[in-house]
Amino acid sequence: MNDLKKDLKKEIKESLGNEFLRKSMDKFALAYRGSHEKAYADINKDKLVLNVIHSKNSALEQMETLRSQFVEKAEKKGVKVHFAKNALEANELIAKIAEDTGSTKIVKSKSMTSEETLLNHHLVDKGIKVTETDLGEWIIQMRNEGPSHMVMPAIHLSRYQVSDLFEDVTRRKQNPDDIDALVKVARKELRKEFAGADIGITGANFLLADTGTIGLVTNEGNARLATTFPKTHIVLAGIDKIVPGIKDALNIIKVLPRNATGQTLTSYVTWITGQNEYLDDDTGKKDVHIVLLDNGRSEIASDPVFSEIFQCVRCGACANVCPVYRMVGGHTMGHIYIGAIGLILTYFFHGKNEAEKLIGNCISCGACKNICAGGIDLPNLIKSIAHRIENENGKSPFSGKLLSAVMGNRKLFHTLLKFGKFAQAPVKDSGGYLRHLPMMFSGEHNFRTIPAIADKPFREMWNEIKPKVNNPKMKIALFAGCAQDFIYPEQLKAFVEILEKENIEVDFPVEQTCCGLPLKAMDRPGTVKDIADQNLEAFDPSKYDHIVTLCASCASHLSEYPKITGSVTKAVEFADKIITSGKFLSEIVKPELSKKLSNKKVTFHCPCHLNNCVKSDEQARDMIRKTGADFIRAEDEMSCCGFGGSYSIKYPEISAGILNRKINDFLKTGAEEIITECPGCILQLRGGADKSGSEIVVKHLAELIREAQ
Amino acid sequence: MKNYEKFKEKAEAVSGVVKKIQSHEEALSYVENLFLEYGFKEKKLAVPEFDEKALLSFKEIFNEKDIQILKNGLRNYENGIEVGLTFADFALADTGSLVINSKREDIRFATMITNIHVAVVNESRIKENTDDIENELTKMLSEDAGYVAFITGASRTADIERVLALGVHGPLELHILVMEDK
Repeated sequence: MNDLKKDLKKEIKESLGNEFLRKSMDKFALAYRGSHEKAYADINKDKLVLNVIHSKNSALEQMETLRSQFVEKAEKKGVKVHFAKNALEANELIAKIAEDTGSTKIVKSKSMTSEETLLNHHLVDKGIKVTETDLGEWIIQMRNEGPSHMVMPAIHLSRYQVSDLFEDVTRRKQNPDDIDALVKVARKELRKEFAGADIGITGANFLLADTGTIGLVTNEGNARLATTFPKTHIVLAGIDKIVPGIKDALNIIKVLPRNATGQTLTSYVTWITGQNEYLDDDTGKKDVHIVLLDNGRSEIASDPVFSEIFQCVRCGACANVCPVYRMVGGHTMGHIYIGAIGLILTYFFHGKNEAEKLIGNCISCGACKNICAGGIDLPNLIKSIAHRIENENGKSPFSGKLLSAVMGNRKLFHTLLKFGKFAQAPVKDSGGYLRHLPMMFSGEHNFRTIPAIADKPFREMWNEIKPKVNNPKMKIALFAGCAQDFIYPEQLKAFVEILEKENIEVDFPVEQTCCGLPLKAMDRPGTVKDIADQNLEAFDPSKYDHIVTLCASCASHLSEYPKITGSVTKAVEFADKIITSGKFLSEIVKPELSKKLSNKKVTFHCPCHLNNCVKSDEQARDMIRKTGADFIRAEDEMSCCGFGGSYSIKYPEISAGILNRKINDFLKTGAEEIITECPGCILQLRGGADKSGSEIVVKHLAELIREAQ
Repeated sequence: MKNYEKFKEKAEAVSGVVKKIQSHEEALSYVENLFLEYGFKEKKLAVPEFDEKALLSFKEIFNEKDIQILKNGLRNYENGIEVGLTFADFALADTGSLVINSKREDIRFATMITNIHVAVVNESRIKENTDDIENELTKMLSEDAGYVAFITGASRTADIERVLALGVHGPLELHILVMEDK
């Protein structure tokens, strides 16, 4: 293990040990989900996101023109515009303005861009007093920490820590339970700083090209004070903040606060043009400087893959929903920029070394992509960064290469999977778990039991169990997926039995192979395409009414085939017919369920890909209700189980933390069975339930339906 | 009518106080009551611009009650002013927001460093959302200098344990008086 990875492992362990952080992250994750839903209750989010994409893309296309237009307009109105290629240049420019104006005291309102350039350090080294005025930023500034969230920088701290800190500041006793009073400490202390400052520094959420205006979105009102009390206003903003005009900014504002904090609008949105009135000297007007920062942004803009990042509005929602962020917090899940977007931006803004530490943190659950205000395919970009770093390092991990080689060849892959069952025989127990783990699964991997490979894979049972039907009402093909084919064939069997009873003809094309998702996770685009082509070869979609899978992750990836393969027409027809088992049963088959399972208490785990990618989770719940079982919803049913394919092998401590929390949440419902629709989740949840010593059973939806039939 | 109802609902949801009035005098008597109701020891009222005639008719009443009128030089009151009274140019129903052109420094301070900000807006100026004021906004922003604020509720933070607290830097309360159209 190299030093970087060792450091990261140590950081992960420390964050996991921080009980307060964990609890507050849990509380936040649950509350955010509710407020986000409420904020979009009477407005169509998809439409808003499309508007954002449109505005941001048109800004990107005309970047050069808009930049000159902005500069021209702003300068015509008396604003001085400066360019900085990198962080150091920006900091030096700002220090120079301070020096030229004889300024010694600066107040700042929250700016991630100034965090990016480490501006405060630079100014303090020049002997300038810098005071952060956003409450959270002020707190972390006094503690010499960086932000742990883009919008809520001090979310990692407790009221006790804040109260202790404020006792030092005021030299008076503070009551940690009176948060209102703590907030008033900041009001009083910082008001003096505003009034005495020579310069106010802000970031900008928008730079409007057609009027030379800057737009600021805040809640506390500190940016308003920082732009009003001092004589000089300096704006530090990335060139990606330039948009054509107010219409674009208003489009973005409809999504930004809703996504960031679940507010329909923040308390203050401020639009500043030119030199406004300043009544403390004879000039009667303010001095305004705008420092436009590049620092890797031009490189992003001209990159065919990564220019998508420009659609980011910095709402921070990708952290809000990230299961890994929830587990470890922003100081581990980010360098300066946090969350999924942080993993990507770090590479461009702070270089490969910082990015390398972080990039493996993605569990590929798709929650960030689903919530993103700019519609960015974040997991995909994270994979691409990982691939880039690998290339720059001139090596790819051995396991990735091996897996790629094996899985590109279906026969070899399936043979190896079958042989796996002989290798494991001496350690398998009667319950079908591996009690004594081989070396690679020991130690940190001991948080869940690993399932055994089935004695007979589904593909070898097929001829015996193939339904015999006369005058079937429809014909479907089954896509098995590796986990159910080789580990849980009984789930597929149950499903086939349901369909037989409903007089549906089922076909199982045996040439089918893995869907390719694990290879996508390792960013092996070549093999991903080969595998997609093999499956498209195996299935003739025109022969079937539907192609059904019992795995949410397979469904999400199979639906992407048109983007992956060269045979687009066939892939589109194939993808159109892909449907999850729950949706298929709920909307199309509507099976007759004669046995009511009313004396059975069940709960539901929503697989990430079922919700975030194929949006078929409500149909799964519908089927659970139709069984008549006593269905008790778990508070945290929507959150990730921590599996994430190879993620749980790379980061077992985090995966284990997520899993334990999930199991506890399910146990609170008092349910006897957890029902879900993804074999990966089943593997993870069963392993966790077994380790926890509880009796709770984890089942696939198909198995529950079969019982009710 | 519909806009007013929605505006009131949304503004109240973010802790705003919304009330209808018939005249500017009524706004001044509302402010007078605020001083009484809140029992402020000091009684400074920032009114950088208002209906001079109405203000004049209240001169004696304010004098009697020790309410001190501040029309300018507000930056000298950094420790705070009890109440600020301003107009708003527009209101937005879908978010419960006010739009205030604050080009003048004293208007900015009256909406920033006061404990209670009272804003008067004409009912006909309540629009459904920002789409309806795009042209007016563009005009305001196209001038040589401009400071346009969308204000939604009181100043707020949730930076300590995500507990909502009002009045971190700006006003602790926002009161909106909607002047009925004649």
